[in-house]
Amino acid sequence: MTTPMQTNSDNGSQNTPVIEISDLKVRYGDSPALNGISFDVYQNEILGIIGPAQSGKTTLLKVINRTLELTPDTTVEGSVKLDGVDIRTIGDVYGLRRRIGMVLPLPVGLPLSIYDNVAFAPRTAGIRAKSELDEIVERCLQQAALWDEVKDRLDSLGTKLSGGQQQRLTIARALSHQPEILCLDEFSIAVDPVTTMRIEEVLKTLQTEMTILLVTNLVQQAKRLANRTAFFLNGDLIEIDTTDVIFSENPSNQATYDYVNGTFG
Amino acid sequence: MTRPKLRKKIILLSITVIIEIVALIFFWNALKKTDVTNGQASPALGTSGGLPNLLGDLNLILPISFLVILLGIACAFYVEEWLSATNWVRRFIESQVAFLTGIPSLLYGLLAVAVFFGYAGVFKATLQNAEGSALAGTPFQRNTALFYTETLIFILTVMPVAIKTTQTALRSVETPIRESAYALGATQWQVLTKQVVPRAFPRMLAGGCRAMARAFAAAALLVGIYAWSHTMELRGFPDRFMLFLGGALLLSNASSFLTEIYVPASTQHN
Ligand SMILES: Nc1ncnc2c1ncn2[C@@H]1O[C@H](COP(=O)(O)OP(=O)(O)OP(=O)(O)O)[C@@H](O)[C@H]1O
Ligand SMILES: [Mg+2]
Repeated sequence: MTTPMQTNSDNGSQNTPVIEISDLKVRYGDSPALNGISFDVYQNEILGIIGPAQSGKTTLLKVINRTLELTPDTTVEGSVKLDGVDIRTIGDVYGLRRRIGMVLPLPVGLPLSIYDNVAFAPRTAGIRAKSELDEIVERCLQQAALWDEVKDRLDSLGTKLSGGQQQRLTIARALSHQPEILCLDEFSIAVDPVTTMRIEEVLKTLQTEMTILLVTNLVQQAKRLANRTAFFLNGDLIEIDTTDVIFSENPSNQATYDYVNGTFG
Repeated sequence: MTRPKLRKKIILLSITVIIEIVALIFFWNALKKTDVTNGQASPALGTSGGLPNLLGDLNLILPISFLVILLGIACAFYVEEWLSATNWVRRFIESQVAFLTGIPSLLYGLLAVAVFFGYAGVFKATLQNAEGSALAGTPFQRNTALFYTETLIFILTVMPVAIKTTQTALRSVETPIRESAYALGATQWQVLTKQVVPRAFPRMLAGGCRAMARAFAAAALLVGIYAWSHTMELRGFPDRFMLFLGGALLLSNASSFLTEIYVPASTQHN
């Protein structure tokens, strides 16, 4: 596939589409949340997704890991393909969800111990051996840059951690089932700027191993991290291009320019 | 809730419990005295004759209410976790629950009276079989009118409360907790057993206590009505009445205690 859109900045993408979204329409009851959007996500890229509130960003992530099915009365049309397979034809929805790591914004419930939180997904997938679980827990906490802070109190409650630590714990948890794709939804809402920087460093390292979809309310975060950036507005994909173009003086749409420069609305 | 506030609540609750117990003891003594002045006194009342009767009552009340509460909890799980909000079965059960929990226990007492006098024939026959002197042992024996009335009242009073409190407890587990568990690839069963139930458990327990309290209140009422309609024979009445009234008070206290001390884990940090 070659379209002009695929000119990417130096690091990341090898232009292999991992996710292909075509004409995706989502409705909650009668009110539309996504109005027919199409784009591809490439292997090992960080795709920034920006847009004001209610623009359908979270809905998009929920479609990808099929947790939208848990919300009653939703309609999904169009197709989302993961490695060329339409996700709706995948019978093992739990297996599909484990291929995608999902980091939700705080507050999320972490009613278990730090260890159990990270071991939750491997356990539900059937891993029982203590040594194997220990290894997964250590690896994921290390990847999320949390290991050094919590290695002596793995048995204490996840809720006893600070906000920034909790958010990193959700990242460790999302990594625990070795996902091919990592989706992050506005992770910096409850996190201080220093921790945000630490997590951003973590994401840059993770990019070598997986594809990252970064929904963010901070446009500068997309500018710092993303190879490409998509701008959503009221359920429409206004523009998707390399981050350099989106943040340049002349993106193809005026609304994009206004939004990234803070003069929107 | 902050710690000092919590401590204050706990102290207040403890004081309430103590006052209630003291009041109950006074009340009990007073009741027993009236019994004596009626000239029906039996010296062995509180000790030898009373205790087995009380245990007999409990032996019957506890299993019934326990079963009814379990049934209510199961029903709440089914309605809340498996039926969609628009399902007509769910709508029917929820409307019935809202209706039944809105009725104060007192009205159920009146209902009980109605049922009693409606089946007065059956009731009298039972009493005659019980040979007058053994009246104290009659009320909660199986296969008596009183037994069936009690069971009916339990189903009407206890079950809606059990359903409602369990549903509230299940709803108190925030959507993000469920969603993030599902996102980790957990099945509905795993989400329920590993995330939802552990978090909702204190509230479910509190709800169970509340339902039990209602059961005991209903029992106290029934015993009261029973004694009232047979004033010449008061043996065992104070013990029973106090047992159930006290039980109801203590359980409802336990319930509010559980709800007070339980602080949702997600709000604990900073
Ligand atoms: N569970 C739901 N039921 C009904 N409507 C919903 C639900 N979730 C989202 N919506 C609607 O769908 C639209 C898109 O919401 P979505 O959460 O995807 O936006 P978002 O871009 O993530 O916004 P934010 O930046 O505030 O997180 C909104 O109009 C919202 O009201
Ligand atoms: Mg959102």
